[in-house]
Amino acid sequence: MRLISVVFLLLTSYISSFAQMVGDMDDETRLYAETKQVNQFFRRFNGEENKKGDRLYSGDRQYRSVSLRKTYLKMLFDLENPSLNEAHAQEFVESVNDRSVPYYLDFHHDGWLAQVNADFYYKGELQPVILFLKLEQERLGYKWVITSVYFKLFEDYFINDTSYIKKFLHPMSHELDFMNMRRIFSKSDSVQQYMEKKFKPDYLTLFLYEIKKGNLQFVSVKDLKFHFFQVPQWYFEVSYFSRKGNNTGWLISNIVKYKPEDEKVLKDFILYEN
Amino acid sequence: MKNIIKYIIPVCIVFSMYGYVNAQDEISPDRKKAIDSLALEKVRDLSKYISIIGDKATDQAEASRVMDRAEELFVEEAEIGVSSLYREQVNYYKVRQYLMRLNQLNYDKVMIKWYNIHYISDLERQPDGKYVGVITVYQRFEGISDDGLTYKDTTKKDITIYVEKKKTQIRGRIIEFWDVLLGDIRVTETTS
Repeated sequence: MRLISVVFLLLTSYISSFAQMVGDMDDETRLYAETKQVNQFFRRFNGEENKKGDRLYSGDRQYRSVSLRKTYLKMLFDLENPSLNEAHAQEFVESVNDRSVPYYLDFHHDGWLAQVNADFYYKGELQPVILFLKLEQERLGYKWVITSVYFKLFEDYFINDTSYIKKFLHPMSHELDFMNMRRIFSKSDSVQQYMEKKFKPDYLTLFLYEIKKGNLQFVSVKDLKFHFFQVPQWYFEVSYFSRKGNNTGWLISNIVKYKPEDEKVLKDFILYEN
Repeated sequence: MKNIIKYIIPVCIVFSMYGYVNAQDEISPDRKKAIDSLALEKVRDLSKYISIIGDKATDQAEASRVMDRAEELFVEEAEIGVSSLYREQVNYYKVRQYLMRLNQLNYDKVMIKWYNIHYISDLERQPDGKYVGVITVYQRFEGISDDGLTYKDTTKKDITIYVEKKKTQIRGRIIEFWDVLLGDIRVTETTS
């Protein structure tokens, strides 16, 4: 962390001198340093923006330079987060900025998604709903699409207690034209026990149904963060920080190194699918 | 028409430099710079209009005329989403509605100052072929009420820009140009 602090101080002093050039207002140093858009997070992460804030393109001398990236990558972490694993952060920076096999973020590539924490009215009551979105190519361009949703009330409908022998249709029910089926549907709270073992509710379909029925009404987006899986064996989360100082804007708020066999578990955890 | 000419000319000049006749739909870094300038000019115009509308010295007829000009900068159905440090939820306003609220603020004196810092994103293509980007600017607001109380805030404004290649006829010649219109704006309070 000491190394990160030194680099950060050096960059801050550079930024201070730049801010005096562009305006008198004290806040401008902070605003200049802020990673103002997710787009700028990509540019800084990849070394595609110089220290004056100009966009660099393939062919420009500093484009994706190791030294430029080294400076930027270290300031892209939330340095005020005591739980951020410092050793992991350092290892991550060295890994993505490796001279022989560097890793860059690709806006159009799979492996990153947005998490939107929103408020909805559900049958008249304000409820939090989490939406996950990804970029999808269509015709001439791209668009954000909803891939999954987490709504606690939906989950509560489908809590499945496996600790006891549940209700079932006995194996000879077919001989009676499934006349015992009426018992399945007589009690809505136990109907799930008659589903196959691998049954998994599709919350996105339910969500869409409730919207169409008029039971769920959008109120507002509360906050937003992004999950990245574009660097092999590394997961990181990017969130927005509005605060005093120069370590602000869109920053890495969490980072995890994982084994390839743990990828699904990690993704399921993030998407509330476990 | 005066406005159209004002916005078209800079881009036409760029086209003449890079050959608009053979222009592809891809946006080169040089063309991006020209489009950025045009977009920034529209954002500056909006900033100017906001300052006039918020100024207590502006009479209602003038404010209304400036609101019309401001609305012309936007695509239809553009909205402005506003949140504050104390309220997570976003309030959504139509452009006109937002400007009218600004005009009706109950301050004796209003000062609106724009920071020199801005950030212009890359342009990304939508499914319909139009390009979309976001310009981030910062505004300092200070309002002093009759009883001398001062309200201050700094807001971050993320402004959507839509960029589309269009054609127009000038003196019998078809001229292709890139048009820029403003879209939704997200206003976030950063400090008070």
